[in-house]
Amino acid sequence: MSQSATANGPARPSLVGRIGRTLLNFWGIALILVLWEALVVLNDFNVIVMPRPWAVFADIWANPGLYLQNFMQTAWVAMGGLVLGMIAGTTIAVLAWSSRILNGLLTPIGLIFSSIPVVAMIPVLARMLGYGTETVLAIVAILSFFPFFVFTGSGLKLLPAGSADLFSVFGAKKHQRLFHLALPSALPNWTVALRLASANAILGAMVAEFLMGTSGLGQMLHAASQAFNTERALGASVCATIGSVTLFVLVVSLEARVRERWT
Amino acid sequence: MSGERTQSALLGALGVALMLGAWEVIGQNRLVGMTWPPFSSVMAFLFDPSRQALFSRALTATLGSAGLGYLIGGLAGLAFAMLGQILPVLRPGTDRATAVIHAIPSIALAPIFIVLLSREAAPTALAALNAFFVFYVAGASGFASSSQTQRDLMAALGASGTKRFFHVDLPAAFPGIVSGMKLAVPAALIGAIIGEWFGAPRGLGILIVNAMQNFQIPLLWSVVVLAATTSLVLFSAMTLLERIVHERYR
Repeated sequence: MSQSATANGPARPSLVGRIGRTLLNFWGIALILVLWEALVVLNDFNVIVMPRPWAVFADIWANPGLYLQNFMQTAWVAMGGLVLGMIAGTTIAVLAWSSRILNGLLTPIGLIFSSIPVVAMIPVLARMLGYGTETVLAIVAILSFFPFFVFTGSGLKLLPAGSADLFSVFGAKKHQRLFHLALPSALPNWTVALRLASANAILGAMVAEFLMGTSGLGQMLHAASQAFNTERALGASVCATIGSVTLFVLVVSLEARVRERWT
Repeated sequence: MSGERTQSALLGALGVALMLGAWEVIGQNRLVGMTWPPFSSVMAFLFDPSRQALFSRALTATLGSAGLGYLIGGLAGLAFAMLGQILPVLRPGTDRATAVIHAIPSIALAPIFIVLLSREAAPTALAALNAFFVFYVAGASGFASSSQTQRDLMAALGASGTKRFFHVDLPAAFPGIVSGMKLAVPAALIGAIIGEWFGAPRGLGILIVNAMQNFQIPLLWSVVVLAATTSLVLFSAMTLLERIVHERYR
């Protein structure tokens, strides 16, 4: 990455180098925006069909309060659901670890639910729990539950070679084994679950809000597209995308730190 | 060892049976209300001969869109990962672009695809996009898993970047790509189903959303069970394939 900086000579201020590096990092995203712009201009779409990128960003810029309010609503519900799913998934994985029978009973159910399109179940949950914000919270929690359950469960068995024997030799109790051996070994796997679940939390919340038309960015998207306000509909999506990417980047950096400490 | 395996298989079957039993009991006694039908009535609804045509037409449509999208997205995802591997300067850019593409809500893209392509093609396009992400991640991390020693050897022997890619990186990535093939199955199905929500002429997605809006609870559950079972069967087939490949490439 520093090649472009040195090519321009070390004596010059690194502005060119910095621009070069930004381009290298973000050329893909820039390409998406350019393609979007080109698509609208070449097809001569009107603003109802598809506005140009700058018009969408201008709408966000002009209505910061509206966007922020809906964004916070969705973000809080998504984070809340993520945390609930995390607690439930991790707890049940630990319970399954502590009992062979429970482990045998629960493992295939976890595998079944992680291999089916859970998003397709959102309509069932919406009908069952009623249209409302609590349902969005429950849906995100359920979506997040399975990665935590499956990955923590497999992580708890990934013990360093010989460590289990060592704990047996010293006559460790089950809870000592859990807190000093199994849980630390499961941590890298657990962060993988966090990454997977966080990537889907905001999107899951938005799909639920969209289907039920209750609140947040999903409702905003729903209402705006009903009113043919495509700028606002895309603006809501841009906010969800930014929120989702931010959450994902935070989690990935956390994961890198965990990996550094644990391996 | 094999005794332990039989035991865990038995326990697993018991676990699934208990889950279905709980589903039946909750439904029979209306513990959750009218929106939770018992397992037996969902099965009766699903296997009712008069509805076979409806279900098989919807399933064929969804599988068609998901399958085509899976192929397109898979090839595109691998090609994009390949680009980042052969020209490492582009790698940070491809990583960020795929992460952003994955973070765009499907429900925002579906109407755009309907305008740009057609109502029929939107499910395929969303399935392709979801598969693209999974294949890109599997490909990129797989290609990077070839060892430094192997790469140094190829460089010392004077092999070009492309040659190294096809002789070292691609075989090293194969097990990872096969795992991606497995994980992309539910991803592609989700894409196709969400794409169908927005008014595809047929498919499981449109049945789900219509049943939800019209309070047709047995229909809603039947279609979701059908979608889940389909995904489970394909996923299991891919798991077998994965096991074979991992044995072979270990």
